[in-house]
Amino acid sequence: MAPNDVNPEELLYAETHEWVRMVEEDGQKFATIGISAFAVEQLTDLVFMELPAVGTQVEAQTEFGEVESVKAVSPLYSPVSGEIVAVNENVPNDLDLLGHEPYGAGWLIKIKVSDESGLAKLLDYAAYLKQCAEAG
Amino acid sequence: MRNTLATKLLFELSQPGRRGARLPVCDVPVRPVDALLPAAAVADEPPPLPELAEPDVVRHFSNLSTLNMSVDTHFYPLGSCTMKYNPKRNERMASLPGMVALHPYQPEETLQGMLQLLYELQQMLGEISGLPGVSLQPAAGAHGELTALMVAAAHFKELGEIRTKVLTPDSAHGTNPASASMAGFQTVTVKSTSAGLVDMADLRAKLDDDVAVFMITNPNTLGIFDDQVAEIADLVHKQGGLIYLDGANMNAIMGITRPGDFGADMMHFNPHKTFSGPHGGGGPGAGPICVSAKLEPYLPTPVVGMCEDRYTLEWDRPKSIGRVRSFFGNVGVLVRAYCYILTHGPDGLRRVSENAVLNANYLLSRVKHILPVPQGERCMHEFVASASRLKKEKSVTAMHLAKRLLDYGYHAPTVYFPLTVPEAMMIEPTETESKETLDAFAETLFRITDEPAELLHDAPHSTTISRPDEVRAARNPVLKWTSA
Amino acid sequence: MPYTFNTDEEQSEMLGAIGAASLDDLFACIPPSLRLDRPLELPVALSEIELAQHMSRLAGINVPAGERSCFLGGGSYDHFVPAVVDAIAGRGEFFTSYTPYQPEVSQGNLQATFEYQTLICQLTGMDVSNASLYDGGSAAVEAVLLCMSVTKRPRKVVTAASVHPEYRKIIETYFSQLDAELVTVGAADGTVSLEALAAAVDDETACVLLQHPNFFGSLEDVEAIAKIAHDRGALLAMSVDPISLGLLKRPGELGADVVVAEGQALGTPMQYGGPYLGIMACREKFVRRLPGRIAGQTVDRRDRRCWVLTLQTREQHIRRDKSTSNICTNQGLFALRAAIYLAALGPQGLRETADLCLQKSHYAIDQITAAERFELAFAAPTFKEFVIRDRSGQVDDVLSTALDAGILAGVPLGRWYPELADCLLIAVTEKRTRREIDALADCFTRATSAASVARMSG
Repeated sequence: MAPNDVNPEELLYAETHEWVRMVEEDGQKFATIGISAFAVEQLTDLVFMELPAVGTQVEAQTEFGEVESVKAVSPLYSPVSGEIVAVNENVPNDLDLLGHEPYGAGWLIKIKVSDESGLAKLLDYAAYLKQCAEAG
Repeated sequence: MRNTLATKLLFELSQPGRRGARLPVCDVPVRPVDALLPAAAVADEPPPLPELAEPDVVRHFSNLSTLNMSVDTHFYPLGSCTMKYNPKRNERMASLPGMVALHPYQPEETLQGMLQLLYELQQMLGEISGLPGVSLQPAAGAHGELTALMVAAAHFKELGEIRTKVLTPDSAHGTNPASASMAGFQTVTVKSTSAGLVDMADLRAKLDDDVAVFMITNPNTLGIFDDQVAEIADLVHKQGGLIYLDGANMNAIMGITRPGDFGADMMHFNPHKTFSGPHGGGGPGAGPICVSAKLEPYLPTPVVGMCEDRYTLEWDRPKSIGRVRSFFGNVGVLVRAYCYILTHGPDGLRRVSENAVLNANYLLSRVKHILPVPQGERCMHEFVASASRLKKEKSVTAMHLAKRLLDYGYHAPTVYFPLTVPEAMMIEPTETESKETLDAFAETLFRITDEPAELLHDAPHSTTISRPDEVRAARNPVLKWTSA
Repeated sequence: MPYTFNTDEEQSEMLGAIGAASLDDLFACIPPSLRLDRPLELPVALSEIELAQHMSRLAGINVPAGERSCFLGGGSYDHFVPAVVDAIAGRGEFFTSYTPYQPEVSQGNLQATFEYQTLICQLTGMDVSNASLYDGGSAAVEAVLLCMSVTKRPRKVVTAASVHPEYRKIIETYFSQLDAELVTVGAADGTVSLEALAAAVDDETACVLLQHPNFFGSLEDVEAIAKIAHDRGALLAMSVDPISLGLLKRPGELGADVVVAEGQALGTPMQYGGPYLGIMACREKFVRRLPGRIAGQTVDRRDRRCWVLTLQTREQHIRRDKSTSNICTNQGLFALRAAIYLAALGPQGLRETADLCLQKSHYAIDQITAAERFELAFAAPTFKEFVIRDRSGQVDDVLSTALDAGILAGVPLGRWYPELADCLLIAVTEKRTRREIDALADCFTRATSAASVARMSG
């Protein structure tokens, strides 16, 4: 579903470091969500991730899961509202996927979008990199 | 030197058939177990515990003990934890059969000595805090916080006020917001200024009719007495809110100022810190709370009262929040606190605080040249230095310094707390250390900062183990031994 | 001032280094208006000799149950504490250390904690144990909070009147802030009414909290209760007597999802109610919701086995208001004592201890109920504790007769159960001898004769 050659420049980014890839299938919009390479690097030494079950409804800007390093917990926020239709269970079982392929095999959830207004707040790749540079 | 055989796990030392305890022959007529209990309830085998002889057990644990640093053996400047000397006399007193062999449901007439002690301790804590209502029931500081917040909630309920928020400064102990959440409140964080004090503008902005309690630690976690505290209390009180004092740092102010006099309505003591209870590798503690007279009716039940020279447990307290712990609380810890207070008396307690503050300031003056203290030249009983400059100049972090100190036989200070200071090293020498120890510690710090960074990065080098792989421990938790 | 060092000379030298004029100068940050302008009103300082005399006097006023014939129970018991427990746990390296924040210099505590966790799993049949909580009561609260969190059913917990009344009171106190309801079903026959339980448990119920053996000493039908809970998607939280597990089936085999216990019986003196040991263990899948500290095994840089505190992101110092609990410490010293106790007893020692409690308590039942005035209040099988009803309703009279004979005969139940005001809860540990039990029964008999004399003369 998420090819390895995803180009990070084609994704949208939240200030909270989630990325989003929008696709349309039969008129229905779907959002695939993951976390950026920058975030994975900043978190260091990830040890645990909790993702929701398929079928869960999520609201935009609310928490859908958590990722933990040894001494920190970071909530994961959804930029859009909708129903979770797929969860990448491979990631909690092999957190190294996030380091190796954050934009490909390291995707986290796929949402059947009911409200995409949150997308307006997202950054493009250049703006996101700028934000990261300022933070770092 | 290290006895690696004896420190294998108990389960690896086990030998089938070996045993460490023999019990008396049963002196009453023995009946088959299945005549007394339903077969479905009885196990075929006892639990699969290890099988050891008594000398195995003694050698195993005695060897394990030597792998620990402790106050009895090492300088332990672990900020916020007040690792002071644990007087041996208190252990002897707390172990008297008339203190230790008491059952919690004995009749009151058989407990008059214990009840007198607890009654007097209530009075003493009320006097030291300036808050006369005392409950000895909470089992730890965090438990005291929670209990006091429940007391506050009961108070507002009685007033018919709905208040949903608790304010905590960003420098607060993590237990503060956690306790607020368990007591059903939403936590709002108030910023600190660069000087480490409560940001009054931010407090004013966040203070409204929804605020039930402002939880403040004073002296705060930076080791600074926030001199705005009376003004803060005024502001909060005008909005109808209450002030909670986290008493973690009472070691700095005993006999000098009292929470009740600077505006607090409620507080907890950490008697295992302030009054020298042994920390036992992580507990027990106790968390008695003191409250103002108007909040006293809500305290947990029972409290100890006195009626015509007889001490009694008071059960009839209709406004009480109920109970937060079984029985009377962590009495053993309270007995030690009582002994400590009696040993010092009013002047002695004041001098404890003076010496704790003197030692901390002296150590601060010795180390500030290499480890700047962002929040000033002076402190109370502890101070928070920052390793940021060392990190920038030679990639040496607070963690590296902490680990290298272990090589020199010092327990590390608290690091990376409070969260508001980068590369924080929170140092609390306590009053029970000598100038020589403080000098030697300071000189060790100087020496370490001159050492090659690589040496520090891999420290410690001389401890039983080198740095453990915490990522592995958390990723694939192994939380018990299993047979291979 | 017996524990400070600074001489007057050192003090001035230190003040000089600080650049302070006086000790008072160090407190300049405290506004004068907030200072205490008088000495604290406390008793004058005592020397060690005076303190010892004062404490001996107070201790002497008490009647130490543990030095008499103690038949008191209800969650705190006069079990034997082997000398090895005191000898090892009293070592300063254990006694005066703290939470193992620096694992390199805390391997003794960490390994002992890991061993404790393993022993608790072996004892309870559960998958994981934490490093301990305050006591059995707060552990019971944490158990129901865990169940509410993992089932996402935050509003309702069902328990029974046969669970320790103080534990239930603690839960009610916590719940009063949380908009959650504790439903208590009756135990009129001394055990949980299964019909009432089945009626009370619904799809909103997070768990059933059960005690086994229960507060009255009776065994519950745990498997039936587990089924009632599990059928409605609720969990079974179970409070146990660790000594009973020398004989009884382990909770893990009976369907428990979370097990808690008052661990005082495992090597901790009664000390008027605390500090004690809160045991808490659960199934593997709940480990990230388990409160309190947990030690885990790992390796150091040279690949040597070692131990650290792990899964710390559950805890308050990281997660703050979202942590699993506000608990910050464990009861390290008492977890250590329990580990030493269980290691010293071993499986056979624990079984024999449990068997002695069983045999002696049943002997006591027979002796006491030989007098017509006294009967067992409940028919359910008991382990080491049981409830005796005084048909003449004068339990105070029995208690005072016994106390005069140096015997603490039992705990009157009227304080918690008005309908059981004529009942005593009596516990018999392995320490009680036949002679002591006979003396206890004799007090009951004498109370009987006194009562009949009183009736005749009245």
